[in-house]
Amino acid sequence: MAEFILEAEAVEYSYPDGTQALRKIDMAVTKGQKVAILGSNGAGKSTLFLHLNGILRPAGGKIRYKGRDVLYTAAGLRELRTKVGIVFQDPDSQLFSASVWQEISFGPLNLGLEKREVKERVLKAMAETEIEDLADKPTHMLSFGQKKRVAIADILAMTPKVIIFDEPTAWLDPRHAREFMQLLDRLAATGRTIIISTHDVDVAYAWADNILIMNHGQVVASGVPTEVFRHTDQIKAADLALPWLVEMHGELMRRGWLKPDAPLPRSKEDLFIQQHIVSGIR
Amino acid sequence: MFDLDTYAYTNRWIKIHPLEKFVFALATMLVCLISPSVVVVWAVLLLMTVASTKGAGTPVWHFLRFMMIPFSFILTGVLTIAFSVSHDPGGFLFGFTFGSITVGASQANLMKAGFILFKSLGAVSCLYFLSLTTPVLEVISVLRKLKLPSLFLELMGLVYRFIFVLMDTTALIRMSQSSRLGYASAKNTFRSLSQLISSLFVRSFHRAGELAIALTARNYTGEIRTLEKEYPVSKRNYAVILGIELGLLLLNFT
Repeated sequence: MAEFILEAEAVEYSYPDGTQALRKIDMAVTKGQKVAILGSNGAGKSTLFLHLNGILRPAGGKIRYKGRDVLYTAAGLRELRTKVGIVFQDPDSQLFSASVWQEISFGPLNLGLEKREVKERVLKAMAETEIEDLADKPTHMLSFGQKKRVAIADILAMTPKVIIFDEPTAWLDPRHAREFMQLLDRLAATGRTIIISTHDVDVAYAWADNILIMNHGQVVASGVPTEVFRHTDQIKAADLALPWLVEMHGELMRRGWLKPDAPLPRSKEDLFIQQHIVSGIR
Repeated sequence: MFDLDTYAYTNRWIKIHPLEKFVFALATMLVCLISPSVVVVWAVLLLMTVASTKGAGTPVWHFLRFMMIPFSFILTGVLTIAFSVSHDPGGFLFGFTFGSITVGASQANLMKAGFILFKSLGAVSCLYFLSLTTPVLEVISVLRKLKLPSLFLELMGLVYRFIFVLMDTTALIRMSQSSRLGYASAKNTFRSLSQLISSLFVRSFHRAGELAIALTARNYTGEIRTLEKEYPVSKRNYAVILGIELGLLLLNFT
């Protein structure tokens, strides 16, 4: 049995204006996995994230970190926020300082670390996000993609075990979006658990180890990418499309161009593997 | 204003300890303000112009253009000193008489006005030197060393950061309004401008909320603490500053 690092159990939450954002959400994130949460706007992804970091407190249900209920005391929240970091969608809302260096040092200083240690962590976080050359640049002179990287370095410097990314590829062009996902892969490769929210089903399908589909404040389907998209009804109900690879696979199957036992492809290359193509078709 | 900000980050003296630049600017300004001799004031003006242009690398005509901004304010200010109103037209170098009163400038008043004009420009040039060589956050870190209240300094830092965010938002909203003829007539302009201002207010509140959440997520508990950059301290620079200030003071006795 795999170890769950972060769990939500029957979490309910309503905003003060009465909108029910989360309706008895259940989810469990396995340590070290890459998890994508899919859902259309207003499905409750961001609200869920704010619960996982203790910004919001569930009206009902529980959040657990490493199997233990989160304590909503100053010390408990400090502990949770040290372990679970959030990179927000709009870096202009997250970056408060005009200096990249000062910005990144804020989190580790809040952990009560020595100056020397903070400095080491800032340098390491900048190296990991490849922004060493931005140390002396003011925040307002950075490009959107650069700001986004600074926003990640902000969180990396606090050395969390779980990093949550709210819509990481929003407003990025295809090249930067691809580089960004590669950066997430590198972060995951060091043993960190990565959770992203997105409505890009292709990105989620190709990248994630595990996918959760949210609709109207509930998790309506979850599982490994090749399984979860078999729930076509739930996908449609959640206002999402099927990944093009899944659709292509289905269509080729229907026409009899792929062998009946050909597995769902995870990438373009998988789809064209010769041995799965019915002979005679070129 | 934004050029000023750019120079602050790209000038040749960026690596010099901000405290040294701060002390140089403030000490020179003090000398300029207390000196009774106009020669000292001219020397300060020249010194700061050379330091900002030849030293830090601001193009000369840019520096002069920056100086022109306060110049017009100062000029209107000193005009009221140069001219006075009197019933007696005697004693004025020149003047205009309206019935029984004369508005005119006496030689003493003109000298006084000129002196104040140059003194103000001299003091302003010191501040420009500081703004052109030292990024705002470094000035704030100097003020922190001088033990100013941290709440005040945090606010300064946040205001500075969000000026740029607000400017970007303004430009976007204005563009989207213009694309729908929002500024095509005087009437449209007034309406669009009022909507621009009100939506900026709303967005600022929204941003403040988002910022508070993002800071809390990083364990913010009421005090913004950050690591400030370290600069090498140069005793030589302090010696040079001391020498310059003493030299300027001695100029008063020539």
